[in-house]
Amino acid sequence: MSRTAAPPAAAPPRRPAPAGGARRPGPLRRLSPAARLAAAFLAPAIVLYLVFVLIPLVQSVWLSLHEWDGVNPVKTFVGLGNYLDLMDDRLFGVSLRNTLIWVGLGTAASLALALGLALLAWGTGRGFAVFRTLYFMPQVLPTVVVGIVWGWIYHPSFGVLNKGLEAVGLGSLARGWLGDPDIAVYAILAASVWASIGLSFVIFSAALNNVSAELLDAAKVDGANALQRFRHVIVPQLSHAVTLVTSLLLIHNFQAFDMVWVMTRGGPQNSTQLIATYTYQNAFADNQVGYGAALSVVLTVICLIVTVVFVRLRERTSEV
Amino acid sequence: MAVPTLTAPAPSPAPAPGKPPSRRRGWTTLRYVALIGAALVFVGPFVWIWISSLRESTDIGRDPFGLPTELNWDNYYNAFVTGRFGSYLGNTFLYVAFVVPLVLLLASMAAYALTLVRTRVTGLLFVLILLGVMVPFQSIMIPQYYVVRDLGLLGSYWGIIVPSLALGLPFGIFLMRAFFLTLPAELRDAARVDGASELRVFWHVMLPLARPGILSLAVFQFMFTWNAFLIPLLYGQHENLRPVASGIMFFVGEYNTDRAAIAAAVTLTCLPVIITYLFLQRYFIAGMTAGALK
Repeated sequence: MSRTAAPPAAAPPRRPAPAGGARRPGPLRRLSPAARLAAAFLAPAIVLYLVFVLIPLVQSVWLSLHEWDGVNPVKTFVGLGNYLDLMDDRLFGVSLRNTLIWVGLGTAASLALALGLALLAWGTGRGFAVFRTLYFMPQVLPTVVVGIVWGWIYHPSFGVLNKGLEAVGLGSLARGWLGDPDIAVYAILAASVWASIGLSFVIFSAALNNVSAELLDAAKVDGANALQRFRHVIVPQLSHAVTLVTSLLLIHNFQAFDMVWVMTRGGPQNSTQLIATYTYQNAFADNQVGYGAALSVVLTVICLIVTVVFVRLRERTSEV
Repeated sequence: MAVPTLTAPAPSPAPAPGKPPSRRRGWTTLRYVALIGAALVFVGPFVWIWISSLRESTDIGRDPFGLPTELNWDNYYNAFVTGRFGSYLGNTFLYVAFVVPLVLLLASMAAYALTLVRTRVTGLLFVLILLGVMVPFQSIMIPQYYVVRDLGLLGSYWGIIVPSLALGLPFGIFLMRAFFLTLPAELRDAARVDGASELRVFWHVMLPLARPGILSLAVFQFMFTWNAFLIPLLYGQHENLRPVASGIMFFVGEYNTDRAAIAAAVTLTCLPVIITYLFLQRYFIAGMTAGALK
């Protein structure tokens, strides 16, 4: 904190003390004008943040130690009971597995597709702006709308997917994509990946534009083939972008809720529940508020661990 | 030229002349076919919906991919009036009109304060705010629901506006702080020497210089407020409070056989964001990547 912009707090007051001297200077008056402005500027944001974000975050932990239906004035303290119940809850297992599929497979798929597209579009000159505009578009649309549109694509009787499969003679593969408990979660994930490629594509494209052309030419002159150039010249210069995109996608996939809620509400037979949707269902549909809070704490802890690990990784790669 | 030749010729010491031009052209064609194919995959579904919104529902059932025989604007009338989309759109505009300027103002003020006074206290505050950027909304939504209820905000417009505002602040402060940090402190000192008050320095000197940051935050917050789904699902249960993003769910539930009307509703929900995006694309992308890159 060497760059203290404000004059030191002990600086003499700019104006002489008010005549009469009856009023003792309050704590705020003793601050410099800059510090007083800062306090006034921070106050509204901090109050809102405390009441609606920080205190609820702490309360989540507190609620998770209780059994409560959301209505009864009395909350029963059960200690770690809710967490022990999680262990025996088959649906928690399903939602944890699905969340890990979203975070693992979803992140990997978005990453690979975005990188592939960025490499293809690299150096397309004026056309690039058009591709970027189109690829990024799903990213700005409401997830609800994406869910509805993909619900149409997967529709068993008039969806594009089944019609397309029939048209190329693969009609036997056609099915109700969102009605099959083994497939539904992957079908929804595909829609989510589709909608989240745009941002990764933009970041990768920006990074590719910074790849040193001199190094590439030098490698070419030295006889490195395309694959070698990709592996040894391009990839090392993209490492920062890769960790950045990965951490963004991880956070995005942990928070997934809308897409599942719109397309299946966690069904069929709860096969598409994520921790987020299962939390919502417990807390707001089944009146298991304490249990829902325990689920949300689990999500928070996993999310924070992963985020912190990736922030560390990013710091390390940026030092190289 | 990322992966120019998959069937690479034997490495020759003279690079360019050894490559047959036809293979080069073949590769370029292939590359553009793939890029255009991808563009169709991203935009096609929406074009399909827009076309469907001008057809008859019975026609869509018979042939999902046909073109409209005549432009059927009744679907929009149905969505707007029968499906209450007029009221949903009005609510969304109201939320945007309150949340976006308030987030901009409060986040800019707080971010400026964090860069103006750099002590251990403000450092700690910034770390706490970063926590708010990282945790998912689902981590706080349960107690937050009861906070909103106990404050008596449930069932009013404020019940959606105030939590949205509070949730927008952490990222807003994060983004604006990064912008204020790029401004030279000498500007501030020069204004002070000229006798400007601290408030004047902020409002007339520093804030105008942070304009690109404010614009990025504005489009980001606009998109976030327009698209928000879970907040209105929790706090806007009543029909009169629903914005388009959650209203469309109820619409789909009620009119699930009237596909043309659903298509019209989807189009109405997308159009304002798409138009804003096309005009302010630069700021959309900056807003979404800036937080990440800083």
